[in-house]
Amino acid sequence: MSQGFSLYLARDSGLHRLHPLTKLSLAATLLVAAFALPGPWSSYAVFLLVLLPLAAWGKILPGFLRSVARSVLPFAISLFLIQGLLWPGGSPVAWLGPLSLKAEGLAFALASTGRILMIVSSFLLLALSTRPDLLMIALAQRGFPSTLSYIVVTTIQIVPYFQGKARAILDAQRSRGLETEGGVRRRLRALLPLVVPLVLSSILDIEERAIALEARAFGRRGTKTSLQVLPDSRAQSVLRWAILALAPLLLVAGLVL
Amino acid sequence: MARMRQDFGTLTLVMIPVAIAINIAVGQLIYSLKIPLYLDSIGTVLVGVLAGPWAGALTGLLANLIWGLSGLNVAYAPFAAVAAVIGLMAGLFGEGGWLRRWWKVILAGLLTGLVAAAISAPISAYVFGGVTGSGQDVLVAMFRGMGLGILPASFGQGVTSDPLDKMVTYLLVWLIVRGLPSRFKARFPRAGGVV
Repeated sequence: MSQGFSLYLARDSGLHRLHPLTKLSLAATLLVAAFALPGPWSSYAVFLLVLLPLAAWGKILPGFLRSVARSVLPFAISLFLIQGLLWPGGSPVAWLGPLSLKAEGLAFALASTGRILMIVSSFLLLALSTRPDLLMIALAQRGFPSTLSYIVVTTIQIVPYFQGKARAILDAQRSRGLETEGGVRRRLRALLPLVVPLVLSSILDIEERAIALEARAFGRRGTKTSLQVLPDSRAQSVLRWAILALAPLLLVAGLVL
Repeated sequence: MARMRQDFGTLTLVMIPVAIAINIAVGQLIYSLKIPLYLDSIGTVLVGVLAGPWAGALTGLLANLIWGLSGLNVAYAPFAAVAAVIGLMAGLFGEGGWLRRWWKVILAGLLTGLVAAAISAPISAYVFGGVTGSGQDVLVAMFRGMGLGILPASFGQGVTSDPLDKMVTYLLVWLIVRGLPSRFKARFPRAGGVV
């Protein structure tokens, strides 16, 4: 199938061969851990000791680091600059001209960045090593509603097409003299001739899609058989439950400690 | 319950991925044109207006989760609840016939923007430490510089950007709905509010 815009990088690795739900359980538990673990350094520790080795095992380390940096850096920069420099009533530790970096602000920025790093990287690990359609099939096998699966898979497939359409309309309007550079007001005026044609043309083929789906018995109830077989094992099943069981434990630990 | 099944007929189901794709395509286009708006909820509002509050809420929820968890723009995922509320409100406004008068359209956008800002602020403060990782952080810096706490600064940023963004969104949806042929609109479960 067409990959759509997913980040998935195909590799021949143990991580890729794991069942999608195993990787999803890991991401979910790490998400809970991000909020439950105490102290600013625990998130960085988890990133270094758990996520980086897994990415290396999955042979996706360069892409992983690139995606993580791209997503986390804007937040890190804003956090350290804004909360570091502008923490009201904070105790200054360093001076940058007339401005000072406050200790509380830096501590906060450190903790927040660590949390964002952990959340973002655990889901990126999932996205880079798991085919989205296989993930949806795995979920559907466990009782996830097929209508939701349909929505997610179709969206992933058609987004690049719509992005292409948006670009095409932009080029066409520009070649007709539409001003898209310059002052804010001019750029705002460009909105209408860009957005309205895109949306109108997209909506009108919905009717055809609906008819095509109904012709393929989409609305029929009952389980659907999938062509894809997902390798799973007893060991992985046990591992999944173990990982998920960690989540409430971490929550309790976080509240108690 | 029967209404809900009607709302989620095949036509609605087919429209939701298209609406989500519209959210993402327009959102990214606006970003690349450096226009100071988000315009990432046009599809959500459209589904809400044409197919009801629940369909709108689902569209918003899934749009943000897909946009975020796919890695395209991770910041969106935690705000899925906000997007769901935007879709829900759009459905309620549609039902109430608010899209029949242009001034009610603008008012609907304003109200949606205020509610969105109110719900987003705690999420932004707790998950992202009060920053957005984008140009909007200039506003956050301004409010923090005035001595506001993290949550109030976040809310300040939201209240300054969201209402305008949602008003433009609603106006665009209003124009789009007016541009659709009546026979097409009539096929949707909640067409009564917009035809």
